[in-house]
Amino acid sequence: MKTRASKTVVIVGGGLTAGLIARQLTAKGVDVLVLERGGDHSKGPESSLPNQRDELRWSVRQGLIQDWSRETYTLRHQQNQTALPVRWMESFLPGQGLGGAGNHWNGHLWRWAEYDPQLRSHYQQRYGKQAIPADMPLQDWGVTYAQLEPYHDLFEKLFGVSGQAGNIGGKKLPGGNPFEAPRSGAYPQAPLHVLESGQVFKQACDHLGYHPFPQAAANSSGAYTNPDGQQLGQCQYCGHCERFICEANAKGSPQVLLYPMLRARKSFEVRLNTQVLGLRYDAAGKRATAVHCLDLMTGEEYEQPAEVIVLAAFTMSNTQLLLHSKIGKPYDPVSNTGVVGKNFCYQVNAGVDLFFKDKWFNPFLASGSTQIVIDDFNNDNFDHTGLGFLGGATIQAYQFSGRPIKGRRVPDGTPRWGTAWKQANADWYAHSMSLGIEGSCYPHRGNYLSLDPTYRDAYGRPLIRMTFDFRANEQKMAAFVSGKMMEIARHCGADKVGSLQALVTPFDSRLYQTTHIVGGTIMGETPHDSVVSPHLQHWDAHNLFVVGASVYPHNSGYNPTGPLAALALRLGDDLLRYLQRPGRL
Amino acid sequence: MTHPVDFPPPDSAGSARRVFLKQLAAASGSLPLGKALAGGTATALLLQSAEAGAAPSGKPVINTVYGYESFGPDEAAFVEAMLNIMCPADHFTPNGVDCGLAIYIDRQLAGSFGQGARRYAAGPFLQGAAQCGPQLPLTPEQYFKAGIAEADRAAQRLYGQLFDALTPQQGDAFLQQLAAGQVAGEQLDLAEWFNALVYPLFAEACFADPLYGGNVGMVFWKMIGYPGLPATHALDVVQYLGKPYPGAAHPKSIADFS
Ligand SMILES: Cc1cc2nc3c(=O)[nH]c(=O)nc-3n(C[C@H](O)[C@H](O)[C@H](O)COP(=O)(O)OP(=O)(O)OC[C@H]3O[C@@H](n4cnc5c(N)ncnc54)[C@H](O)[C@@H]3O)c2cc1C
Ligand code: SF4
Repeated sequence: MKTRASKTVVIVGGGLTAGLIARQLTAKGVDVLVLERGGDHSKGPESSLPNQRDELRWSVRQGLIQDWSRETYTLRHQQNQTALPVRWMESFLPGQGLGGAGNHWNGHLWRWAEYDPQLRSHYQQRYGKQAIPADMPLQDWGVTYAQLEPYHDLFEKLFGVSGQAGNIGGKKLPGGNPFEAPRSGAYPQAPLHVLESGQVFKQACDHLGYHPFPQAAANSSGAYTNPDGQQLGQCQYCGHCERFICEANAKGSPQVLLYPMLRARKSFEVRLNTQVLGLRYDAAGKRATAVHCLDLMTGEEYEQPAEVIVLAAFTMSNTQLLLHSKIGKPYDPVSNTGVVGKNFCYQVNAGVDLFFKDKWFNPFLASGSTQIVIDDFNNDNFDHTGLGFLGGATIQAYQFSGRPIKGRRVPDGTPRWGTAWKQANADWYAHSMSLGIEGSCYPHRGNYLSLDPTYRDAYGRPLIRMTFDFRANEQKMAAFVSGKMMEIARHCGADKVGSLQALVTPFDSRLYQTTHIVGGTIMGETPHDSVVSPHLQHWDAHNLFVVGASVYPHNSGYNPTGPLAALALRLGDDLLRYLQRPGRL
Repeated sequence: MTHPVDFPPPDSAGSARRVFLKQLAAASGSLPLGKALAGGTATALLLQSAEAGAAPSGKPVINTVYGYESFGPDEAAFVEAMLNIMCPADHFTPNGVDCGLAIYIDRQLAGSFGQGARRYAAGPFLQGAAQCGPQLPLTPEQYFKAGIAEADRAAQRLYGQLFDALTPQQGDAFLQQLAAGQVAGEQLDLAEWFNALVYPLFAEACFADPLYGGNVGMVFWKMIGYPGLPATHALDVVQYLGKPYPGAAHPKSIADFS
C-alpha cells in the first residue's frame, strides 16, 4: 500500500466539528487535511430550486443520508440476543458529504444545563449518594460550563443564531428560558417569528404557570454577516429544512459558513469521496501514526500519516474506527471493564396531535426550528424527590413543515384509506398542530456499542452492533413528562386532542426519533472510566483526539450540537498548544 | 367526473375485467399511445404535467401515461383494483389509477428504490425482533410482487376469486383484514407487507410531487391545501399568521419550475 506525504493534522470526517476545528487551526496557518467519505452538496439539485423542494427524494428516500448498503448497524435490545442488521435505518440519519449532518439538521441550538458536565456530582449533592442507581454509569466530564462559555458564544456568532436570551450573567430576562445557563451576552440575532401553534401553546403554558420561550435557532431570522465575514440570507420559512440543505443560504451550516472559507485558505485541503477504513496504531509509542484511506472514485487504497489525527466522523464511525483499529479497551458489560463503546445513549420522544376547527396553522409556513418550548420539566430543573427516576424533557409546540407525504395529522379513528380518509386529511391538514417532548437518556450498563461477530460492511469490516433499549429510568421519565404534556394539551382549547403517542419501546429502528445518538468514546477524568480526557485526547494515544456527540457520557434533554460545537472550537485551540509541545494536554 | 371503465359494476364477472386489463397492458407496451410513451418516463411526465396545466378548468386532469415498466398484466390488475379501492373516485379526486397512483408505484419499483438501492443486502437472513426492520433476501420490487401473489392466493382461499375480481366492498374488507394481520400468508407476513411496503407507496403516490407520476394535477395537494413550490415564505409567515393561505388553492410542482 502506498504512503502519501505526511500532514500536520488529519481530520477524519468532513462535517460540522471538522469544519470548526479546521477554522481554528488554519487561521494560524497550520496544515489541515480533511478526509470525507461523501461529495460536495453545495451546487447540486439538493441545494437549489426547484429540486431542493423534493420530499420524496431527499426526505423519504434519504438522498443526503449515509448509504446503508455500505455501512449500517446491527441491533439487539439485550445482551443475550442475536443482533440483526438494520437494512434501512429510519430512527437516526447520519449525514454524508462535506458538511455532514450539520447541513441537513434543523438548527435547534442549546447550551445544555449548567450542571450537565457535572451531572453525577450534581445529582449526588442534591439527592444523596444513593440517588444514582448502580446500573446508571453517569459521570462528570472533567470540564465546566464556564470553561466552554466563550466557545458557545463564538459558535453562536459564527452560526448567526436567532434567539431570546433568558439569563445574561445571572440576570433573568423576560421571554427567555429562566433555566438557561448564564450567558455572556445576547444571541446574535432576534428570535424567529412565533407561529399560530406557538401562540396557542404559549397561552396554555402561561395559564399553567410554566415558562415558554422561542427555540434558539441556526435558521437566520435576518440577513447576517458573521465574524469571519461569511453571510447568511434571511430564513424563508420554506418547510424543507431538516433532512434538506438550505437553498436560501439561511441555515447555519458548515457548507455555507465554514467550507467555502476554508477551501480558500492555503493550509487547508479536503479530499472528498475518501472513506477512512481504520487507523495505524503504535501501541508501544502510544501514537496513532496514519490513517488507512480508500479513494471511492479510483479504488486506490493508501496510508495517510499525520502528526495529529482527529476523529470527527459522528458517533458511530468514531466508535467503529477505534474498535476496529484496536485502540483502547472495548467495554464489557458483564465484567464492567473497558471503555470503548460504553454509555451509548439515545433520546426520549413522545407526542400528541391537536385539532382545531377554526384555527389556521398553515403547517407549510415553518422553519426547521419554529417551536415554542418549556424547560420546566427538563433534566433536573424540577425536584425529583420520590419520583423514582432521574432526568426530564422539554415540552414544545413544534411546527417544522407541512410536507405532505409524511407531515399530515388526522384524528384518532380515521380510516387509513377511502373517501373518509381523504375527508379527514382535507379537514385537518391546515387545522392541526402537535406537541412533543424531547428528553434525556442516561447511560445504562447494558446499553453499549461493540463489533458485530457476523455482519460486515462493504469494506469487509465488522458492523457496529448496538445493544440498546430504553430502560426503566427513561420509561418512567417519559411517562411523567408525557403526563405534563397531556395536561398542557388539554388546556390548548382544541376541538379534539389525540391520544398520547408514548415513547416507543422496545427501541425501534423503523421510526424516526432523533439523530441524537451519543457516547461510545466518552470523555472523563481518568483512563479507567473514559476513552478521551477532558481535552478530548485519547488516553492511549496522545496524538489522537475524538470529537462529537460520541464523547458525551450521557444525553441531556436537548439537541446535542451546542456543547459539541463548543468542544470542537476549544479542541482547535488546544491543538495549537499541542503542536507546539506534543504530549499530554 | 368519474371514470367507471376501471370499476366494473359489482355484479359483473371479474374475469372479463382481467382479460381487458391484460389486453390494455399488452397494447400499451407496444402501441404508440401518444407522447407519454414517446420520450422516456421523465419527459413524458413533464409533458403530461404541462398538458395538465392547460386542461380547461372544471374537468379533472387524469393520468395519461400508459405502459407499465415493472408490473405484468396480472400484477397490474391487482394493483389497479387495490388503488381504486383505496382511492375511489369521489368529490375529492378521480380514482386511484386516474390519479396516476399505479404508474407511480410501477415506476418506483422499476427504479432504484425497487431494485434495493442503498439498502443493506448481505446475509445471513435471520428472523428476530421486528424493531430491526425486515430481514428478507428480496428487493422491494421482488417483495412487492411476491406479496401480490400471496395476497391473490389468500383472496382465492377466502372468496374463491382473485383479488381484482372481488367487488369493491369485498376488496375493501379484504384489505382491512390484510392490514390488521387477519390474513395469514404462506411464506410472507402479509400485514407487514401491506403496512410497511404497500401503504407507504400508496401515501407517496398520492402526495409526492407529480413529477414522479402520481398525484396527477396535484389533486391531493389541492385537496389538503398544500401550496407546493416555491415555498419562499418569509413574508407569508407574517401576513398569513392564523389566516387561510391563498396560495394553497393553486399549488405548483417541481415540473412547473423546470
Ligand atoms: C435530520 C437531523 C436533524 C438534526 N437537527 C438537529 C438540531 O436541530 N439541533 C442539534 O443540535 N442537532 C441536530 N442534529 C444533529 C447534528 O447534525 C449533529 O450534532 C452534528 O452534525 C454533529 O457534527 P459532527 O461533526 O459530529 O458530525 P457530522 O456533521 O455528521 O459529520 C460527520 C462526517 O463524517 C463523515 N464520515 C463518517 N464516517 C466516515 C469515514 N469512515 N470516513 C470518512 N468520512 C466519514 C460523514 O460522511 C460526515 O460528513 C440533527 C441531525 C439530523 C440528521
Ligand atoms: S426553513 Fe429557513 S433555514 Fe431552513 S431550509 Fe428553509 S429557508 Fe433555510
